[in-house]
Amino acid sequence: MPYPELYNWDSCAQFVSDFLSMVPLPDPLKPPSHLYSPTTVLKYQEGNCFDFSTLLCSMLLGAGYDAYCVNGYGSQDMCQMDLTRDVCPLTVKHQEVVQEEEKVPPKKYAIKPPRDLTSRFQQEQETKKQEEIKAEEERRLREEEERLLDVEKAKTDPLHGLRVHSWVLVLSGKREVPESFFIDPFTAHSYSTQDDHFLGIESLWNHKNYWVNMQDCWNCCKDLVFDLGDPVRWEYLLLGTEKSHLSLTEEEEDGLNDDDDVENLGKEDEDKSFDMPPSWVEQIEISPEAFETRCPNGKKVIQYKRAKLEKWAPYLNSNGLVCRLTTYEDLECTKTLEIKEWFQNREDMLELKHIDKSTGLNVDYFKPGHPQALRVHSYKSMQPETDRIMEFYDRARVDGLVKREETSKTMTEYYRGRSDFLFYRHVSFGDRVKKLSLNSAESNPRPIVKITERFARNPEQPADEDVAERVFLISEERIQLRYHCRDDHITASKREFLRRSEADNKGNKIVMTPDMCISFEVEPMEHTKKLLYQYEAMMKLKNEEKLSRHQAWESELEVLEILKLREEEEEEHRLTISIYDTKRNEKSKEYREAMGSPQADPPPPPPPPPPPPRRVMHEEHLRQVEAPLDYLAPFLAQLPPSEKMTRWQAMRVKDECLSDIKQRLIDKANLIQARFEKETQELQKKQQWYQENQVTLTVEDEDLYLSYCSQAMFRIRILEQRLNRHKELAPLKYLALEEKLYKDPRLVEFMKVFV
Amino acid sequence: MNWLYDSVEPRVMDEDLLKLAVGEQGPRDEAGQLARQEGILFKDVLSLRLDFQNILRIDSLWQFENLRKLQLDNNIIEKIEGLERLVHLVWLDLSFNNIEAIEGLDTLVNLEDLSLFNNRISKIDSLDALVKLQVLSLGNNEISHMMNIIYLRRFKDLRTLSLSGNPIAEEEDYKMFICAYLPDLVYLDFRRIDDHMKELAEIKHQYGIDELKQRENLSQAQLDDERAQREELEEHKAAFVERLNGSFLFDSMYAEDVEGNKLAHLPGVSELLQAYKDKFVIICLNIFEYGLKQQEMRKVELDTFNECVQEAIQENREQGKRRIAKFEEAHLLSLNAIRDESEVTNLEMKVAEHSKDITELFDMLMTLEMQLVEQLEETINTFERNIMDLVALFIENVQSLMAQCRDLENHHHEKLLEISINTLEKILKGELDEDLPYDVRALFVDKDTIVNAVGTSHDLHLLKIDNREDELVTRTNSWCSHLVDAIHKDEIMRNRRRVKEIHQYVDHVQNELDNLECSEIID
Repeated sequence: MPYPELYNWDSCAQFVSDFLSMVPLPDPLKPPSHLYSPTTVLKYQEGNCFDFSTLLCSMLLGAGYDAYCVNGYGSQDMCQMDLTRDVCPLTVKHQEVVQEEEKVPPKKYAIKPPRDLTSRFQQEQETKKQEEIKAEEERRLREEEERLLDVEKAKTDPLHGLRVHSWVLVLSGKREVPESFFIDPFTAHSYSTQDDHFLGIESLWNHKNYWVNMQDCWNCCKDLVFDLGDPVRWEYLLLGTEKSHLSLTEEEEDGLNDDDDVENLGKEDEDKSFDMPPSWVEQIEISPEAFETRCPNGKKVIQYKRAKLEKWAPYLNSNGLVCRLTTYEDLECTKTLEIKEWFQNREDMLELKHIDKSTGLNVDYFKPGHPQALRVHSYKSMQPETDRIMEFYDRARVDGLVKREETSKTMTEYYRGRSDFLFYRHVSFGDRVKKLSLNSAESNPRPIVKITERFARNPEQPADEDVAERVFLISEERIQLRYHCRDDHITASKREFLRRSEADNKGNKIVMTPDMCISFEVEPMEHTKKLLYQYEAMMKLKNEEKLSRHQAWESELEVLEILKLREEEEEEHRLTISIYDTKRNEKSKEYREAMGSPQADPPPPPPPPPPPPRRVMHEEHLRQVEAPLDYLAPFLAQLPPSEKMTRWQAMRVKDECLSDIKQRLIDKANLIQARFEKETQELQKKQQWYQENQVTLTVEDEDLYLSYCSQAMFRIRILEQRLNRHKELAPLKYLALEEKLYKDPRLVEFMKVFV
Repeated sequence: MNWLYDSVEPRVMDEDLLKLAVGEQGPRDEAGQLARQEGILFKDVLSLRLDFQNILRIDSLWQFENLRKLQLDNNIIEKIEGLERLVHLVWLDLSFNNIEAIEGLDTLVNLEDLSLFNNRISKIDSLDALVKLQVLSLGNNEISHMMNIIYLRRFKDLRTLSLSGNPIAEEEDYKMFICAYLPDLVYLDFRRIDDHMKELAEIKHQYGIDELKQRENLSQAQLDDERAQREELEEHKAAFVERLNGSFLFDSMYAEDVEGNKLAHLPGVSELLQAYKDKFVIICLNIFEYGLKQQEMRKVELDTFNECVQEAIQENREQGKRRIAKFEEAHLLSLNAIRDESEVTNLEMKVAEHSKDITELFDMLMTLEMQLVEQLEETINTFERNIMDLVALFIENVQSLMAQCRDLENHHHEKLLEISINTLEKILKGELDEDLPYDVRALFVDKDTIVNAVGTSHDLHLLKIDNREDELVTRTNSWCSHLVDAIHKDEIMRNRRRVKEIHQYVDHVQNELDNLECSEIID
């Protein structure tokens, strides 16, 4: 089958469970009287548990697994495909494996820790107290859990152990399966052979044989041994050679099938071994559409414990929704806790939308490729200047932005991999200054109160000159710098500038004075004390402050832009369609249709297509040119353009056409022959030359000669092959053309008369 | 060219000239005002222009330690001098002068751009130190020999060269030759060299280049070999067993030994000598290998120690940093609180509280430091003991091996004496068959002479062995004591630095508080 997804048992089982809709057994206590073949099941897209497992088993056998259908007894939940007591697999969180750190043995010269002077008695008392508290808590938790379990526990089933179910057993050995396990075809879950849900096994079968379980099932399936070669435990029906002796017989239960679907109606009672009758079931075929649609009508709903899972086929929903998981707070599924929606083929690359109803928090996850390189967007409302976190694919962004967190008054940005070593910028905003209504809100940005920027260590600069943190207190007109700490120091240099505007109130130029810069230096240096140095540093910082403010402003704008873009995208929710998907992609379809009208003679020049579809079209073009060539056209054209052809003319046309092809075939044969001879001659010449000059040749020449020889031999062989093939095909071609001509609508009437 | 300057007096580069130039080229506007106010130190100047000044002699530039760019073009300088101190120089312009030889540039290792345009240079040399050279301008000079180009091959970064206006530029092969011999060059005489030209040139001069390359490779290989040998010897020296991996010591024993060499002519001595040598060399080799092994052990020991100490210091530093960060937060808050406080009593209380905090921080940091000092001291002492033991063991073993050498020598001496006396007896009896060289025969006059001769030889040998042993022992011991001293010293320095740092910081914080207080009270 052309779907690599169906090669593994888990995805295969998932497909079966999605593809079919479930019909309960007419009598839950008896197996059905007859079985449908997998192809039939596929066609109807519905079935009972036996149909499910038949299909799944066939597919698994086709994929190389050692799989068997099981006729046995299951729990009520399983038989009725009731998942309401199961936790939805999508809600189960992966438990992270904590890697234990390797303890490094203390080194020879490791320093001794300072002496511990705390009282041991006190410590003991403390731990005792802690333990008591812990125990209390644990007890409480346990009680709570028990209470919950009681609530959830189902009423006992009166028919427990009698309900007939069918599932699939996969034995270890083939396809690197380490341990035998069961697959429930309804849910596609795998279970160990010890599981509580499986209450007993009557019999097993696959395409080769049928085995009856001779073991006691008093303890469900837990004690069963799946050694099918053991005739005491498993009674086989057909003698065979393998560990599992083949053939099956059982009155109504008609055997099973594999890919080629061997089904056995076998009522043949002649014992001894007999061959499995060949399968009469057609090969399993799943159309791409059906495969893509998966579920019947492209939609499926599964109810789990406190959760509801809805699935759709791709492109079924116009917004690209393919899966929705709704989690509820209570068992009755009335109070929604959170909703997760998965999307596919969205043009804005939205992958998952997570809505937490209890906090009102929305989180959107994007795949790489969003125009703004958005990765995660979590927000409560789409209004600007509210709490939100945006994460980005920092490699796709020029500025290396990783994350931007916003609250109503602040904006924090995290960067990675910048050449200026900036990794953190925090901006606090003040209240918006009320302005006359002349200006709209956008042109009235909030005043920036404070900008904090942090830089990673630049290894090329000495630590004393490498700024670690830069704080612009804009409203106070102060700039604080904190430098990096030297490798062997614990304090870092600091510097604070009282920034004043270029001129004071009276318009006098401000002159730098020593009190405008307060600094603490780890190691005082001469040149930094100078006013000139400080002045220059301040001027530089002033510029940088301007830049930072601009940056902050741009970030704000970007947020607005992204929000706008998101809103637009949400409204439009356009989907991307692969250009190879000729059914959905409008453009491809157009071209295909444009190419579709069959035209014998040179097709009209196609409209210049955009690059990608061109290939598709071109291939199609080639195919069409190949097919409907009119062999007669050139000969008909020679005739006078009278409306009717005489019989004689028709005959002549036919003869001419045939003699022409004959000539062509002969020409072709001659051509191949000529080439073949030429090649052979050349090789001979070369060989002769080699014989003569063998003694004087250098190694390189000899290599050259050898490589020529091998190539020439190759060419000769190919030519020979072609010649032979041509000889074989030529008469066939001739006959084919003759036949075609006989059937040609233009000649057919004359021929008939002739015959 | 000189007629221009004939009318003008040459000027001397003095303090005033430099000050003027610095002042003119310094910062402008407000910054300039500040600069004038404070004065500019010569060592802060990064770039200096002294063109068209009629300078005859470069002088007084030694103060410009940090100068990056110096322009001395269009003067009448005749000799490159006085630039030795300007080691940071990157850009040097000496064009349009009267320089005749390239010299005095040996310290300017950072130089990237050198212009000697329009001078009277006839030979390119003395540029060896300028390993970073990228641009070299030598146009309008008197370079006449093509072989000067080959000198430029050593500058791996050279990309731009100008030589137009030299006699060699007239030669028809000029361009091709340069392109071929300087393949990394990008610009020649202010024009880009195109690839086609490069290829042509390469083909044309392939033979010459190949030969040259061969020679260069050979000399390079030789240099590498020498370096490798030197390094190996260094390594052996560090293990104190250099030259013990062969017969060097043995040979040196006989190098100055006249009598010994003479006695080697006696019958049977040469075999004896050979056997002696073999045994001796084996012991030497033993010493050598043992020495290397011990050196390895010492190194491992030292590395572990250093690692542990570094870890401890880092850990301590992290703690200190955390403390300070925590304090700094509190500090800012309380400073603000104090600033906002209006009531005097509250104010005083807060100030007192904060002072207490500062003292606490100080105590804390000092405690941490003291703790570290104690811990380190203990570790250092352990290490000291261990390394001393190692060294003592090493010396002991070497001494025992050396004693074996001495035994061998004694043994040999006895044998030799025996042979000598036998020979003497033979000679005296006149039974000696073989002919001995005259000077050897001279030894065999009487018993004393021969015994003395053999004794001298023996003493000399013992002396050599003793010397070698002494050398090894002294060097090993001094290395050990140096190492321990250095470790102690480093630790003390580290401690002082940290204590100073803590004091400085606490003073600063205290000052901040005091200043605030003052201003508060004044208000």
